[in-house]
Amino acid sequence: MRPVEKLFKAKGWKPQDFQVDCWEHYAKGKNIMLHAPTGTGKTYAVWGGILNESFELKKIEEGINVIWITPLRALAVEIQKSTQQLCTDLKTDINVDLRTGDTPQSRRTKQNKNFPFGLITTPETLHILLSSKKHKDVFKNLRSIVVDEWHELLGTKRGVQVELAISYLKFLIPKIKIIGISATLGNKKLAGEILMGIGNTFKTITSKINKKINVKSIIPKSMERFPWRGHLGTHLIGEVIKIIRKGKTTLIFTNTRSQCEIWYHTIIHSYPELAGEIAMHHGSIDKKIRLWVENRLRENKLKVVVCTSSLDLGVDFSPVEVCIQVGSPKGVGRFIQRAGRSGHQPNNPSTIYFLPTHAIELIESVALQEGIKKQMIEDRLPHINSYDVLIQFLTTLAIGEGFFPDEIFSLIKKTFSFQTINSSKWKWILNFLTKGSQSLEYYDEFKKVQILEDGLMVVQDKGIALRHRLSMGTIVSDSVLKVKYQTGKQLGTIEEWFVSKLSKGEVFAFAGKNLELLTLKGMEVIVRKSKLNKAKIPAWIGGRFSFSSNLSDLLKNTFHNKKSYSTKEFKALDSMFNQQNRESKIPKSDELLIERFKTKEGFHTLFYLFEGYAVNEAVSSLLAYRISLLYPITFTISVNDYGFELLSDQEFDRNIFIENNLLTKDYLLDDLSKSVNISEMSRRKFREIAVISGLVFQGYPTKPVKTKQLQSGSQLFYDVFKEYEPDNLLYQQAINETFDHGIESSRIQRTFEKIENLKVVWKDCKYPTPFSFPLITDRIRSKMSSESVEDRIRKMYLQLEKSVK
Amino acid sequence: MKEIVIFNNHFYLHKTGAIYWKEKNTLLLADLHLGKVGHFRKSGIPVPRKVQGVFYDKISKLKNSLNFSQIIFLGDLFHSSLNNEWFLFENWVKKSVLKIILIKGNHDIIPKLKFQQVGIKTYNDLKIEKFLFTHHPKKINDYFVFSGHIHPGVRLTGKGKQTMKFPCFIYNKNQIILPSFGGFTGMHLPKIKNEDQVFVITNKEVIEVKEKTN
Repeated sequence: MRPVEKLFKAKGWKPQDFQVDCWEHYAKGKNIMLHAPTGTGKTYAVWGGILNESFELKKIEEGINVIWITPLRALAVEIQKSTQQLCTDLKTDINVDLRTGDTPQSRRTKQNKNFPFGLITTPETLHILLSSKKHKDVFKNLRSIVVDEWHELLGTKRGVQVELAISYLKFLIPKIKIIGISATLGNKKLAGEILMGIGNTFKTITSKINKKINVKSIIPKSMERFPWRGHLGTHLIGEVIKIIRKGKTTLIFTNTRSQCEIWYHTIIHSYPELAGEIAMHHGSIDKKIRLWVENRLRENKLKVVVCTSSLDLGVDFSPVEVCIQVGSPKGVGRFIQRAGRSGHQPNNPSTIYFLPTHAIELIESVALQEGIKKQMIEDRLPHINSYDVLIQFLTTLAIGEGFFPDEIFSLIKKTFSFQTINSSKWKWILNFLTKGSQSLEYYDEFKKVQILEDGLMVVQDKGIALRHRLSMGTIVSDSVLKVKYQTGKQLGTIEEWFVSKLSKGEVFAFAGKNLELLTLKGMEVIVRKSKLNKAKIPAWIGGRFSFSSNLSDLLKNTFHNKKSYSTKEFKALDSMFNQQNRESKIPKSDELLIERFKTKEGFHTLFYLFEGYAVNEAVSSLLAYRISLLYPITFTISVNDYGFELLSDQEFDRNIFIENNLLTKDYLLDDLSKSVNISEMSRRKFREIAVISGLVFQGYPTKPVKTKQLQSGSQLFYDVFKEYEPDNLLYQQAINETFDHGIESSRIQRTFEKIENLKVVWKDCKYPTPFSFPLITDRIRSKMSSESVEDRIRKMYLQLEKSVK
Repeated sequence: MKEIVIFNNHFYLHKTGAIYWKEKNTLLLADLHLGKVGHFRKSGIPVPRKVQGVFYDKISKLKNSLNFSQIIFLGDLFHSSLNNEWFLFENWVKKSVLKIILIKGNHDIIPKLKFQQVGIKTYNDLKIEKFLFTHHPKKINDYFVFSGHIHPGVRLTGKGKQTMKFPCFIYNKNQIILPSFGGFTGMHLPKIKNEDQVFVITNKEVIEVKEKTN
């Protein structure tokens, strides 16, 4: 019996099958991919194996033996505590320490002199370690790398960072073992392959624990007053308060930070007696305040926390009894994850209430319940050929010890992300780093990575190295300002564009308080508390979640499944269904519904694909493009998860639409790449790429670096690359990412295959229908035109911004 | 081109953002920010070098169509301190046989002497007849002012909530502000006042745009 098993026995615990499996396969020296839900003992499964091994070593070598990567700093703290506890229980003097962006310099310096056996860190901090000149020494006795919550990293560029770091460390120390820990995923096998890299075998272990989830829809008493549109749901506050009063602690999940602020204000305003027992938590609130909220939650001192995805992950809040999801969670996986924040004790069920913000969302609730029953958890799509991350990584190595290109090329090809990179692309990247992607040397003063006589590539310029250190990482945020009291106390961050709309003395709601804007000082917004009750709610530009393909399939099935109509959710929607049938119809499973009506805004044509925002958006611009090939016309497009609307000032004929076979899948990708939206989307994607690859330097508010003459927007870069260097791999990457991750071209292909088999039902309606309501009123607009720019300008008007009349 | 007449002089607004002054056979240009690409590149930020040639391409095309004999740069000709892009500029000046005047802008920190050596006169402000040429927009009694500095642009809106952004000239009875003539300079959207006329530029045309009247 190994030491950890003895400990379990002594404590009277029974190890679970997956824990025993982990210990055994680790002892055999295997790489492991473990799939288990949170709160089921995965830390013991992995750390136990590592400690078992440490008891067999004659001597524990100095330096870092184990790296444990987590996606969240808060999680890192928890892991450090629990792994160190296990060490103490086993009476070994093995030391586990923490190193993240929050670790003070003094503690880092101490670590640098004497590195701990185990280091809990984040992908970003690991890369910073790789930029140190002594890193080969620090890692020379490395035995294992553990990647925790891999499902969260996979599918992001941080995941690519992890892939690169693993491949590099494996190159330095070939014998290291790789252990991944992930929640259940759709594509389990692939998740392991991506983490391990090309050619490394591994053992997949799956925990058999299946947590029971109760889903309850909140159905308003009176459906007449239930809105057909909107995204707040605050009219259901009465029901929410009932739930809060029943349970011990309730988490209310909202989808955006502004929705979170609004909900918090609405609750505290209507139920002031909850003051002191209610808190809010989102990504823009100051770290100290967030930590305080997390601690109060853990200590069972809060009745309710209004939050965003900032509380989706990891940290164990045992007192939470129920969760409330406000509006669509957009995916089965996210819904399960959020539900799992409640009933955290093993064997307890999780309870989640679904609060629809408009009528059609009630249908989603039925779909989600079906999704949970069938465990239709979404796949995560990995990032392929993220040249921006690669360029950042190479610069990281170059500001440290430097690198030899041939060595690095061989290890980069072993990552999943870059397995197809060829030598011409590789040469382009090296040329980009050393010559600024030019061949002419005449007059050029480009300087970044230099090639020494022996071929070593290094950064010698201190300014370039410093700017790189300050901008490492792949999380790109919008330009933000700090919100502070006059006393200096920080409340969090707010986006620049929102502040620019405020004038002095105006009151806005933030972090649950009404604040008066006193002054702007550099990158800081100085505020004081206001007694005014009316306040503007800030908006943050965030990633827009789209319906997962699983959820859209589930939703369509729900519509067409007779059984759905006997659920209480559908019964409540009876009058809406009737009206939809009266004005138009509810499409059958073999029909594609198109509605047309006219208002003073123009001609509205609505398509109901139910394919999720991303796919609907792409299909809409593709259709608009195809129609506009027939004659000059300009469309304004609005999209949501259910469908899209083409609005035009000229009418286009139904026959034109049907006779020209506009829904064919022929020339699909070609037509897609020609539709305006694609280039606008890649322009947006390019912002992130520009920051990650070091084209745009954001700097840090706390560490101002003089860079005024180097500041430029990513848009400008996009424009000059597009015009003068279209073969630039970063520009190409923006377009590819738009296809793969923005519009999900593979999903679009499948959608068009489905459409070909559908019967088009065109309904000319007198009035907007219930289905159309969310689209024609709650829209985010984009446009598509085949008219010349000059003709369009002639039809447009100046937008006078706050001009004085 | 759009013609505007001020104090009986004829000025033509060109789609490149230049203004051609007929009576003096002079071209007015603002905010080229030459050398910006070089400064970025020197700091390890690889802006394509082709952008360095944008000005020279644009100006030689203009020369063919307008055949001006003098250029007045309305400030921010160079982005920052001297770098190798100066040699490109110097070569062009020598070959161009134009009379060149530079009104200094806030970015023009290259010493006056360098410009004098290639025959360019520099001024803080320059008055010719009833016209004032300066970098920062301002209002001066009895003079009509030409300036740049702000890289003006406007946002246009159309039916169905379309919006687009374009660089533009901003013109009123006291002054005209030129858009940036540079290739890597960006734009700023100032507030438009009621007395302002706005001319947006596209690659093909200069178009006047107006506020929607109900």
